[in-house]
Amino acid sequence: MAGIWVFAENREQTLELLNAGKGLAADFGTNLTAFAWDKQWAQDYITHGADQVLLLPPLADGQPLESCVPVIAEKAKTEDPDVFFITATQRGKEIAARLAARLNAGLCSGCTGFKVDKEKKSLAMERMLFGGLAVQTLVPATRPQMATVPPRTFDPAAPQEGREGNIRELPAIPPSAVTVVGRTAKVREAVDITEARIVVCVGRGVEKKKDVELARELARVLGGEVACSRPVAEELHWLPEEVYLGISGKKIKPDLYVGVGVSGQIQHVTGIRDAKVIFAINKDENAPIFEAADYGIVGDLYQVVPKLIQELKSALKA
Amino acid sequence: MLKVIACFKWVMDEADIKVDTGSRRLILDRVGYKISLYDRNAIEEAARLQEQHGAGVVAMTVAPPTAKQCLKDALSRGPDKACFVNDPSLVDLEPAQTTAILAAAIEALGDFDLIICGEGSSDLYTQQVGPALAEKLEIPCATYVNKLTYMEGEKRIIAERKLDDCMEVVSMPLPALVTVLPDINTPRIPTLKQVLAASRKPIDNITLDALGVACEGCMQTTGILAATMERRRLRFGAGEEDIRAIIGALLKEGVIA
Repeated sequence: MAGIWVFAENREQTLELLNAGKGLAADFGTNLTAFAWDKQWAQDYITHGADQVLLLPPLADGQPLESCVPVIAEKAKTEDPDVFFITATQRGKEIAARLAARLNAGLCSGCTGFKVDKEKKSLAMERMLFGGLAVQTLVPATRPQMATVPPRTFDPAAPQEGREGNIRELPAIPPSAVTVVGRTAKVREAVDITEARIVVCVGRGVEKKKDVELARELARVLGGEVACSRPVAEELHWLPEEVYLGISGKKIKPDLYVGVGVSGQIQHVTGIRDAKVIFAINKDENAPIFEAADYGIVGDLYQVVPKLIQELKSALKA
Repeated sequence: MLKVIACFKWVMDEADIKVDTGSRRLILDRVGYKISLYDRNAIEEAARLQEQHGAGVVAMTVAPPTAKQCLKDALSRGPDKACFVNDPSLVDLEPAQTTAILAAAIEALGDFDLIICGEGSSDLYTQQVGPALAEKLEIPCATYVNKLTYMEGEKRIIAERKLDDCMEVVSMPLPALVTVLPDINTPRIPTLKQVLAASRKPIDNITLDALGVACEGCMQTTGILAATMERRRLRFGAGEEDIRAIIGALLKEGVIA
């Protein structure tokens, strides 16, 4: 047996992994399998590229999602897939680490891309090291070749009408020693910054909380949203944690990123590296953000931003 | 008595890493080492259980013998004892190898109730060792914990997990493992007295031979290179002309309209 397997918590992430797996299944001359939590998605995943869907049985009350590990591990032992991609959400990362331990397989955490060796049917997978400072390339020596893939690394797979595949039900999930005794949805304090086309980012160069308004005004004129660097959210609490960008925060792919007083530590830059255009304003000409920017203004943001707003107002009105 | 093991890793300080821009090689010859950032939260949480519940705390690490100075650093943060699994070969370990060695060392240690790990290490940040270790030891685990409560008398812990879309509270019987987030506590800065006391605390030196664990890697690292980003790096001044030039360029690129 063989195959490319993908597992994610939700539909959106499953479609992204299906897109990553589709080409790979063709390269390896094998089929593509997705896991589904709900029967209603099984056919949908087939339409989006899966040849087979393994349907997970419903969880009992108080049973955590992670208790699916033994069932998936058993299936992987009997079917011996070539590749197993798992979404790098927090639950996904735990599930993947525990599966890898059970399967005695290597696992590439936070895989940002891979190259395929068709002959050897092997992957050379890339991931970040040292908080985004370096890129490590890993070639697994064990089966399955496992990786966790951060959400939004790949575009979702496109639907193809008329595709057929089979749906198989997995055995019941055994009871877990861990019991969920409470769950509260996170109160969303902010917009989904990953959806914004234009992002204005507040860095530590912004001196006072009330000056965040300057960035807001710039974002309004541009039709964008406001984000920040990690300390602005975690230490100063000027903006909600959902909008800080970086390796441990949100990763964004906007058309335009404008850094306002952002120094550009590597951990931050990792979160914005997929922006189409990066524009930075900082008074320190040695700030690392200028190395990562397409356009840079060396100047005091308190003078530059108001002028920029004014110029944009007249330029964008025309 | 509640017996707690806090695992920690002695890592390169990434702030000391320099890059050779031409070859993209990392220059590591002048780097300092530190206790991995989130592992300090793991040790602190163990120290909190020691203070509030009289827990006995062992700090455990897997490293080459040259990392010896990490022991005093760890012990000054509260633990009663250190377990130092060391061998010259224990460098650049994969998570699977670290996990196998820790599992063997913990089994050799025998009795424990709770293992606390950081959510990930600041060098590799694979976030695998905690949950993989729980799996190898066949004990329950809770990852990404930002609040931990020990239910004395019930031999149980309640852990609050901070997940992508929700907060989840779980209850599990001991022995168990948790991985902790940086916001669970504020790691102490050891006082001079604590630093001095640390040098009198016991250290178990455990060799790889004594554990009898073979640990081959599962992955081959074929390259480590500095991350690059192809950007135009155009510099402008702060004058109105400069600002207009940038706006013109952004309009032309079609990223603003």
